[in-house]
Order: sequence, then C-alpha cells, then structure tokens
Amino acid sequence: MKVSSFKWLFGNNSEFWPTNMKTGMWAWVGHRLTGILLVVYVFMHLSFLTQASLSHEKFNDLMDVMAQPQFVFLDFLLVCAVIYHALNGFRVVLFDLGIGIRRQKMVFWITMAVAAVLVVVGFWALRELIFTGGG
Amino acid sequence: MAEQRIATSKVAGTWAWFFQRLSAVLLVVLLGIHIYVDHFWHVGEDLSVSNINDRLREAVFIVIDYSLLAVVLLHGLNGTRTVLFDFDMFAKRKDLVDVGLWVLGIATMVWGVTILWPFIQG
Repeated sequence: MKVSSFKWLFGNNSEFWPTNMKTGMWAWVGHRLTGILLVVYVFMHLSFLTQASLSHEKFNDLMDVMAQPQFVFLDFLLVCAVIYHALNGFRVVLFDLGIGIRRQKMVFWITMAVAAVLVVVGFWALRELIFTGGG
Repeated sequence: MAEQRIATSKVAGTWAWFFQRLSAVLLVVLLGIHIYVDHFWHVGEDLSVSNINDRLREAVFIVIDYSLLAVVLLHGLNGTRTVLFDFDMFAKRKDLVDVGLWVLGIATMVWGVTILWPFIQG
C-alpha cells in the first residue's frame, strides 16, 4: 500500500477509518492530535510573551485580554489537552516497561478516569474566571 | 499498515524514543513548578511585571524557566518528528527533516532566551 497516497489514512478499509478503530487506536490518534495542538500552543505562547516583554503597558494589556472569560475557557481546554496527553503518555510508558499490556483497554480507562478527575479539579480552579473573567 | 508503523519506529531511532520518555518525565516536574509558581504561589495577586522580576532575581527560577523551554522544545519537536515519519514523503527525507527540526529548535531556544531577558534584567 502506498502511504503517500493517503488511502491508508482515509480509505474505509483503513484501520484509521472511525468504525474500524478500537480503543488503543483512538488513544493513539488523541495523543497525536493533542501533541500537535500543544506544539502549536508553545509557539503562540512565545509570540504573546514577545509582545508582553516590550513594556509594562504591553504586558498589562495582554493580561487584560487573557483575563476575558473566552480566553480563560481556551486556557481550560489547554489544561484538558495537557492532562489527556500526560495521562495517555504515562500509559504508553507503562507499556514500555511491560506493565499492563495484556489489559491495555482497562489501563486506558483507568488513566482516563484519573484524567477526568483532574479535568474537574482544573475546571473548579478556573470556574470563577471562566464565568466572570479575571479582570 | 502494521508494517508501516514498525518502519516508522525504526526510522525515528532508539535515542529519540529514550529522550522522548526522559523529557516527558522532566516536563511533568518542570511544568508543574512553572504553573504553581506563576498562578498559585501568590493566590489573589495578579500576574505582573514586578512579581515576575522578583521571581527571576533568584537564579533557580531562571534555570527552571530555561530548562522548561529546552525540554518542551525537545519533547515537542521530537514528537513532531515521529508524526512526520508516519508519512512516507518525510520518512524518505529523514536527514532533511532532522536538520530542519534542529534549526527550528535552536532558533526557538534563542528566541525564548531573548524573551525572558528583559524580565531578568528587571
């Protein structure tokens, strides 16, 4: 199969086709997507900090914008991506160590349960800022 | 497809695999410190230039921030490399991808060092 044709990715015989994908495959796709998102975020973070480093006024202007509820909500989504990527990464490291491979589906759901708890904690910590802003 | 994934892991290499795991562990520690210090150390106090200046008067926080940037870039760009090698067109041009990512990583590290510099000087 020619990989460069993308048929392996999009064809309905592909293991990437949504109805063909099992738990481990969804976990893998989620890890890739959150990873790419976080790399993009790092460059955005550096761009914003470049502006903020120019003067006290620019720094305060940026903080005012970032305190708006919609940006705090985006921060919360970022926290969700970090938590998923970290917990799924932990699961991958466990498999590298030979732990839980035969029960990979159960290990996935245990790590996702921990991730869900951390997401709730993150939401609780940010809830006031999400609904009212931080200004 | 299974053959392609095996080929991808061979292209990426054992050192890349090792450093991805090592940097992941370091990231959890450094990112945890970064988030705690920036957002939870002085609860109720807005993040400002003056409290960043105060923090960066201590060398340990400069080391933490620059280490975090280096580890983030190592982990992020190494992960990007693995994703790219899933595609035949990049796997066939491994050396070019490696050089490109090294240049991007070093340039971004220099960029990050210059961003923090005004805050360190106060």
